[in-house]
Amino acid sequence: MDILQGWGEAIARGAAVTVAVALMALALGLVWGVLGALARLSSSRILRRLGTIYTTVIRGTPELLIILIVYFGGTVALTALARKIVPDAGYVEVPSIAAGVFALSLIFGGYAAETIRGAFQAIPRGQIEAAEAFGLTGWVGFVHIRFPLMWRYALPALGNNWISLVKDTSLISVVGLEELMRVSAMATSVTREPFIFYLVAALVYLALTFVNTTLLGWMEARSQRGERRG
Amino acid sequence: MNHMDSGAAPAYRPVLAANGIRKSFGALEVLSDVSLSAGEHQVISMIGASGSGKSTFLRCINLLEVPDAGSITFEGETLELRRRGDQPATLNSRQVARIRARMGMVFQSFNLWAHLTVLENVTIAPIKVLGVPKAAAVARAEELLAKVGMYDKRNSYPAHISGGQQQRCAIARALAMEPKLLLFDEPTSALDPELVGEVLRVMQLLAEEGRTMIVVTHEMGFARQVSNEVLFLHQGRIEERGPPEQVFGAPRSERCRQFLARVL
Repeated sequence: MDILQGWGEAIARGAAVTVAVALMALALGLVWGVLGALARLSSSRILRRLGTIYTTVIRGTPELLIILIVYFGGTVALTALARKIVPDAGYVEVPSIAAGVFALSLIFGGYAAETIRGAFQAIPRGQIEAAEAFGLTGWVGFVHIRFPLMWRYALPALGNNWISLVKDTSLISVVGLEELMRVSAMATSVTREPFIFYLVAALVYLALTFVNTTLLGWMEARSQRGERRG
Repeated sequence: MNHMDSGAAPAYRPVLAANGIRKSFGALEVLSDVSLSAGEHQVISMIGASGSGKSTFLRCINLLEVPDAGSITFEGETLELRRRGDQPATLNSRQVARIRARMGMVFQSFNLWAHLTVLENVTIAPIKVLGVPKAAAVARAEELLAKVGMYDKRNSYPAHISGGQQQRCAIARALAMEPKLLLFDEPTSALDPELVGEVLRVMQLLAEEGRTMIVVTHEMGFARQVSNEVLFLHQGRIEERGPPEQVFGAPRSERCRQFLARVL
């Protein structure tokens, strides 16, 4: 494509990296979110405290800082570890994609934990009692009753968090991951056409968000099966 | 009733015996020394004003509330109440699960699981708790739904059917566990008046089948016509108990007389 001056393929690859990073961070982040929510709802005071610390730290720190801390912290830790094994080892860098996915998953999980905690608490008490009365307790009750009921309350807010997550992937460009944002910045510095390339990047993010909101709308309709409409 | 066919056999084999049940919430004593025994095929109605403790008693029987004191024997198995000093009593959770699996509970507010269809509501506990194969559970559930007149609605979600329909499904859900004892906690109190009859008819059918039932209710007509025994509770105690003719016809307790004068 002429207007992209040969950068089209690189941008497409960058967009693919963005989507891949976001999906991996989502999957891992949901795990942190559920664990965080369960910790906050736990009967153990230590777990409740840990859950609160997690969500407070994540929500109280800029996303960019968390990414930098995970990246440089991971590098320091890995280097120290390597030097324990091979005393004259050089710097061991954490792959930027691993650091990025991990940092974003922590961020997503911190917000999701609060959403999921609220959703668990929104389940009508009677539905839980019925589960207890019918012996649907423990893991079976969690999988078949509590989790699916929680999901329908949590989905709208989690959808919002997911849309932010997709855009937050642009922050990983600071640690050198060649995703959409970094590729666009590179194209900008080579071609000296910042407006065109940043506009293209914006359109790609917008398109991703559009796809996501459509998908979420469909999922919400599905999860709300059996709810009173209107 | 058909259980009389056996002739000389003793009238009732015991299913449940609850003795000296006490329960307090904070400083408020809701149950002080309530005892009840239910024999096979018996229908026992518990009546009384709101706050008299009748629902709490029912919830103590299937252990949604842990009694502070007393003993419960169900199908020959005595419940272990673990006590340690001043700590509230605790239960053996495996035993609780075992006992609950054989008691069917019907709630005032139905409490069907909102994310499951009517049919799934009825089959999930047999499949996941009792380990019944899916096909068998579905076949049995369809039978039970037909019995309560809900077969046509088996693929609906709870929010899309009326309260009376939800309660009939909840009864089918309880029956699907093949319970030895059915507990009803004010099953018609949350219903619009015109929907009460359809639920009571199903309950009457179950009584005629010889099901063992304990029913907390405000429906005096039902208590009078269907039960073998009526218990009147007042402030956490049983004030009056006996066959319905006696409790409704010639109550000995002054409080019971006053209560019946208000509600009848």
